[in-house]
Amino acid sequence: MKRAALTIIALTFFAQLSCHVQKHSLVLMTDDSYRPRIIATSKTGLGSPDGLLWRNGSIYIADEGSDEMECWSPTGGLKELADSHFGFLSPEDLVMDADGNIFFSDDDAGGVWTIDARGNPRLLAGKEKGLISTEGIALAPDGSILVGDGEQHEVFRVTRDGAVSEYLGKQYGITKPESMVFDDRGNLYIADNADDVLYLLDAKHELHRIIARRDSFSPETIFFSKGALYITDSHHGKLFMYRPNEELKTIAAFAGELKNVQGITTDDAGNIYVGVQTDLKRRLGDIIEISKERG
Amino acid sequence: MPLSLLILLSAGSWFMTLNNQLLIAINSVAGRSWLFDNVVAFFLDNDLAKAGVIGCCFLAAWYGGKGADQTARRKILLTTIVAAVFVIGTTKVLSKTIFLPRPEIQSQKIYQLEGDQLVEMGRMPVRIPLDEESQKNYHALLSGDVETNDLGSFPSDHAGFFLVISLGIWLASRRLGWLALGWTVFVILAAKMISAQHTPLDVAAGALVAIAELAAFRYAAARKWFDALLDRISQLTLRHSALSSAFIFAVAFEMSSTLVHVREFLGLLGAVRRHVLGG
Repeated sequence: MKRAALTIIALTFFAQLSCHVQKHSLVLMTDDSYRPRIIATSKTGLGSPDGLLWRNGSIYIADEGSDEMECWSPTGGLKELADSHFGFLSPEDLVMDADGNIFFSDDDAGGVWTIDARGNPRLLAGKEKGLISTEGIALAPDGSILVGDGEQHEVFRVTRDGAVSEYLGKQYGITKPESMVFDDRGNLYIADNADDVLYLLDAKHELHRIIARRDSFSPETIFFSKGALYITDSHHGKLFMYRPNEELKTIAAFAGELKNVQGITTDDAGNIYVGVQTDLKRRLGDIIEISKERG
Repeated sequence: MPLSLLILLSAGSWFMTLNNQLLIAINSVAGRSWLFDNVVAFFLDNDLAKAGVIGCCFLAAWYGGKGADQTARRKILLTTIVAAVFVIGTTKVLSKTIFLPRPEIQSQKIYQLEGDQLVEMGRMPVRIPLDEESQKNYHALLSGDVETNDLGSFPSDHAGFFLVISLGIWLASRRLGWLALGWTVFVILAAKMISAQHTPLDVAAGALVAIAELAAFRYAAARKWFDALLDRISQLTLRHSALSSAFIFAVAFEMSSTLVHVREFLGLLGAVRRHVLGG
């Protein structure tokens, strides 16, 4: 009996010292009309996705974990578009123009990079032009590219020939322009996940603080579609939807390994796609589709 | 599929259904009376009302008795303190390993990650108490605020911790032990189930851990070297009564606050390790 008792104590002690504690992971749908489904994982070649963009049946991915630009589709699976051999280090966010040219940012290598419609990658404007740690990226109505810099706390305009100029200087007080997107009225939304503020730059170039709730809101990536702004929050593991003059609405909450939600995009049918970095160091991640329940 | 496995699965399913039905029955008293819910919440949230009674019983047992009886009591209580640390460790490790969210969370539409798939979990129709704290937490849940601690409710660390202490007190002093056990079961744990923070299964598993580990330590304490060590420490506490009183005050204080300060201290140590050693 004493041996049994000592064995229990020893096993308990051993279990407490050696047990590898796994994180519980769940998605809580605060909006019952949606349901989540994992469509791509690291087992299918995905790393840790950051920026996502849906276009013509495919999702284009700035894969921060694999240091690659990728394209995923339900039929073709995951395909590499470009990798770090071209000089970029950590693809952060991306946009695509009507001709199919991709532009993406890189918070480690800096600069604005592009992959043209034929699939040729190149550096459009690099660190030497003052783009040190590029984060959010948006396609302006005039065709130029706006890119936020997290180290310089500014937003720059980059023309198609690589000329760089200041668009929003330090005086605007944006600490980290992590993500940017234009709405259908020409307003520019800017997500600052250092100060935990969502800004709106109106057509008169006036900056407004739309949402500033440090304790419960930290915008990571924003995406505008059909009159609504979709927002991921990696600090709190949430997916929000925002419409002007309405309350911020939580669609889903992510916990455990799925908490670090990053990029977001939507397709024509209104399905939402969210990139999750489950473990950036080990290059693990998922893409979750959040779609409306049928019936 | 072998017949034994089939029987085991159906028994497990029946057991879980029974557990859920029991919880729903216990929880059915919540959300009906503002006064009742506030009384329950008071005993859950107020450290003096919740755990202070257990701390008082522990102190009374520690200082009770005379001569050899007092030494014997202290030996039991010292073993109980060590067992309680192990019980908390065991319940924490288990709850972080076994995925079973609190019933309140299970009342929502949730999907659990199983392999590479998100699988919808069954919803538990629990009632939410009407007290301010419960309502605030529920509205936070509706906004998607999920605490990591709420994802692993099995086994109940409250059940494990307070039952191991109460059982230790019971072994040292029957009267005080009955009081502590009664308070633990009918006040602390009942309130946890009424407010849907734990199911009866969580509580039973916590109790099992408490009983097994205290029994193990009591058997180990019967070994000569362990008994001699406990005897020596007990004698020391009697000889240096001022110092031992200070120690036992700290123990009772932490018991009464459900180890919240110790946990904070361990959290600080973890943060220091991460920042200094980069671990």
